[in-house]
Amino acid sequence: MEYTLNVLNIKEQFYTRRGIYKALNGVDLQLKKGEILGLAGESGCGKTTLGLAIIGLVPRNAAIIEGEVLINGRDLIAPLREYASRNSKKFNFRKSENIIKKLNQQLASIRGSMISMVFQDPMTSLNPVLRIGFQISETLVTHQPEMLAKRKLARSRVTDIDLRDMLELLKNGADEKAIRVFTESKGLQGIEEQVLNIWSRSDLGEAKKEKMIVSLRSTKLGSFERAILNGVKDRRGMGGWMKIPGLSRLPKSILFKEGYRKAVELISTLEVPNPEEVVKMYPHELSGGMRQRIIIAIALANNPELVIMDEPTSALDVTVQAQILELMRHLKQRFNTSFILISHDLSVLSEVCDRIAIMYGGRIVEVAETDMIFKKPLHPYTTMLISAVPTFQTTEIKGISGAVPDMRDPPDGCMFNPRCPYVMEKCKIVNPHLGEVEQDHSVACYLYGD
Amino acid sequence: MNIWAYIIRRLLLLIPTLLGLTLLVFILSHFSGNNILLATYLNPRLTGTARQLLVQKLTAEFHLNQPIYVQYFYWLLQVLEGNWGFTNTPVFSGQVTAAIELFLPNTVVLTVAAAILIWIIGVPLGIYSAVSRDSAADHILRVGSFTLYAMPIYLIGIALIIVLGVYFKVLPFSGVVSPTLVSSFSWYINGISYPTHVILIDALIHGAWGVAFDAFLHFILPALTLALAIVASIIRILRSSMLEVLDQDYIRLARSKGLPERTVNNIHAQKNALLPMITLFGLTVAGLLGGAVVVETIFSYPGIGYWTTQAFLNSDVGGIMASTLLFGLILVAANLVVDVIYAFIDPRIRY
Amino acid sequence: MSKKTSGGTVNTRRWDNIKLSFSVFFANTAAVVGLIIVLVYLADAFIMQIDPGLLGITYANTLVPNFLNPVPTAPSWQHPFGTTYPGVDLYTSTLKAIRIDLFYSFLVVGVGAVVGSVIGVISAAIGGMMDEIVMRITDIFFSIPYLILALAIGFILGRTLMNMSLTLALVWWPIYARYTRSTTLSTKEFTFVEAARASGVSRIKIIFRHILPNSLPPVFIQISLDLGAIMVIFSTLAFIGFITNASVPELGYLTSLGLNYVQIAPWAVIFPGVVITIFALAVNLLGDGLRDVIDPRRRS
Repeated sequence: MEYTLNVLNIKEQFYTRRGIYKALNGVDLQLKKGEILGLAGESGCGKTTLGLAIIGLVPRNAAIIEGEVLINGRDLIAPLREYASRNSKKFNFRKSENIIKKLNQQLASIRGSMISMVFQDPMTSLNPVLRIGFQISETLVTHQPEMLAKRKLARSRVTDIDLRDMLELLKNGADEKAIRVFTESKGLQGIEEQVLNIWSRSDLGEAKKEKMIVSLRSTKLGSFERAILNGVKDRRGMGGWMKIPGLSRLPKSILFKEGYRKAVELISTLEVPNPEEVVKMYPHELSGGMRQRIIIAIALANNPELVIMDEPTSALDVTVQAQILELMRHLKQRFNTSFILISHDLSVLSEVCDRIAIMYGGRIVEVAETDMIFKKPLHPYTTMLISAVPTFQTTEIKGISGAVPDMRDPPDGCMFNPRCPYVMEKCKIVNPHLGEVEQDHSVACYLYGD
Repeated sequence: MNIWAYIIRRLLLLIPTLLGLTLLVFILSHFSGNNILLATYLNPRLTGTARQLLVQKLTAEFHLNQPIYVQYFYWLLQVLEGNWGFTNTPVFSGQVTAAIELFLPNTVVLTVAAAILIWIIGVPLGIYSAVSRDSAADHILRVGSFTLYAMPIYLIGIALIIVLGVYFKVLPFSGVVSPTLVSSFSWYINGISYPTHVILIDALIHGAWGVAFDAFLHFILPALTLALAIVASIIRILRSSMLEVLDQDYIRLARSKGLPERTVNNIHAQKNALLPMITLFGLTVAGLLGGAVVVETIFSYPGIGYWTTQAFLNSDVGGIMASTLLFGLILVAANLVVDVIYAFIDPRIRY
Repeated sequence: MSKKTSGGTVNTRRWDNIKLSFSVFFANTAAVVGLIIVLVYLADAFIMQIDPGLLGITYANTLVPNFLNPVPTAPSWQHPFGTTYPGVDLYTSTLKAIRIDLFYSFLVVGVGAVVGSVIGVISAAIGGMMDEIVMRITDIFFSIPYLILALAIGFILGRTLMNMSLTLALVWWPIYARYTRSTTLSTKEFTFVEAARASGVSRIKIIFRHILPNSLPPVFIQISLDLGAIMVIFSTLAFIGFITNASVPELGYLTSLGLNYVQIAPWAVIFPGVVITIFALAVNLLGDGLRDVIDPRRRS
């Protein structure tokens, strides 16, 4: 089975002044292509740490002492693991930082393009001194400069007649595919997404849309600019002379301007009103919901294969929450994007996830399809978690007795044993493995065998 | 908040500050009784009946027989008209305004040069220190700036004198120019050069390259001392500011976008780290002015600071009060400029 | 929360905290070195205060010139640091000067910091018109560079050692007033203060039990760091020639004595300057170490 993401036995620790904090204690996870996997658990169980470990954004006091993160067969965190597993006695923060820096360099090409992440707090995730459009455009220029070049070149070559023809097609109910065929036949690749995006916008009247589509042709290119853009497009990126810091300013600024345009399109699909104004604004001028949409736009800009979303809706109200979940469904359907959705809110996960994994004490204790988790929860923790969620039928509020273990000194054996109502002797000695009990339903508990 | 509203508010706040400043100077000069005020405005060269007449005139003019707030008002009038009194020091004797005209240009050149040096040296080093945290270079920078920070200004000057002036005999360390070089020039009379009173600039204006070079050599040690004294704290603060920025969420997001580390540092981090630096600049100016006093004294550099210490050591009331007022005005003006520039740069205030 | 420390009384937890503080502090070698150096200086000051004879010094409060041989001489067995201008032995003078400098610097910081902090806390806690007035007054003090302000005030008060420290205290208190004011203001905003007020605790109790304990720790660190800075400024003023008494043992003044002879006798300016720099360095290291202990963010 081809997995997009394969996490094998990840063990991660943090060195703090008050001791070693064991955040992840052997996590196994598989993600299929086009799947939305929910990651649930209480605060402190390691969900966010796992998400960060997958993308490799660890602080310098973190040590991944064991495990692999395989994306399309490539182990992302190999350097970190190699250093940490060999130097657990003399872990040096400076050396760790150097390795992290090198890792950042290595992973830069896939971060933002193949795998991206949406962080928890939208209020602090955007750079306050840079414009919205810039922050979106950045990721486009870095990973898809040739796409941007193609767009602008297409705009400069498209004629009035072509645009009016396309308008006719759209008015007569043509779909995306038809338009694409049309543009390909005319050799105008790059214009179709611009036209389609304007047409599908819901905040403009039809007359305005017509005007905007027709105005797409009024782009004049100087010959120098045209040469640059062609260079970018053909060489598939900013290679050669354009890498020199001083000289790269001109092509970069041209591409950034095009990036702003694409940014407008991106955020308009996320239901951001007045996108042309918004891209020129600074983050503090927007509300939390808006900012989160921008961040999601940034994460999705390059159509990544895997998106990790860390509590994307916790800071937002329910209506925005619903919109974002709808967007996830749409993207999965259209692009087959895989998602990891981290949340402590099971009800949110139940709405949109295909499978749900329950985490406790830095380990995965149960994984199954969403329906099965709710209909037939196997692990005691899962059962208690579900019954703790109030519904219309609930008459009394049930909590889970006990408290989350101190990860500096975790219990032996199964992490849950101090709080488990079905605890047995062997639970306190050895940790149960995550084993498949039924079709596509795995659990780590001695109640179901070894 | 609208940026113009901010600027206007800031300008309006200026008035009570200026009033407070002048009030403070006035009170200070009044503390030993009327005599100090008189002494300030009494031309020291007058004697006998002319002196007594002047005393009477001044008493009337400043209303010295009336309550203090009246006196303050009339004194303030005099100050605004440009009559700041007399100074009597070995280095200069005469009207305070004349002294200021002579000495201020030199100090301005010195402090501006030091400020430029501080920014050219301090900013890149501070940022580099943070970016390459805990590396060998970082440790050296930290130890170095720590030591510089602990050294008194005069010690830095003395150390530079010993190393560059005595041991290596590279640079001169007294005065502004070697006297023999300038004695024959028409634009240099009695120790004063025209038109700007700054020998370095005047020499360049008049095309006397040899003199200009010599003046430049004399200029290096004082400027370097002043710069080194302050750059240490700039490096430390910039380093911690940058480290704080690098810990922020938006930096993590930038990395998750797959941006190269150079871009993350130069575009995302630097802008945020440097913003608070601009407010620091007000403090830097205060340090520069105070430091100029010491530096000019050590190197016998004819600036406002040198005149101030001479006034102090010779109990010249007029000189001290006038220089206090002058330094205060300069600092207030500098702070205003800094606030306005900051308002223009920080997008959170602008929009 | 964890299995281990769930038992135990409040006292054991406090003892654990103290042990942690000590281990954090002593793990920092630089801070320990700083502490040792500061203690050495303090020891010298105490010995000089109680019985200077122990160090072989008779006149603890003045410099002893030797007009028979006024030119500065190089370090030798009789004069371990050499001599400076009017034949003054640098080693003994330095020992005397340390005590003087330390005493007056402590005085400046003590008076300035205490007075300033009290004013700042009260001003912020009470707020309103008084707060505005205090702000304006501190603004006025800040509008003049501190060195020049010190010269102006010192000129009026008189140019003696005691007056110099008084002057510096006057120049320094606004800094503390502003500093404590801002920490008090931010503590005031914390919700636990609101919570206390909501449960009916009287205002004075709030100030003493909630606001002060949270706003004061950073002030202590600031005080310890300022000791070094004040001593440097103190010596700078003396170097310029603030004091009219020609034989006061003070490190800055000692440096100025040798200034004219810097070409032939560099040791005369180096030794007193280095002694001050080492103290300032030590104080800074110590302060940094204390900050590591007290600031909760840096503990983890």
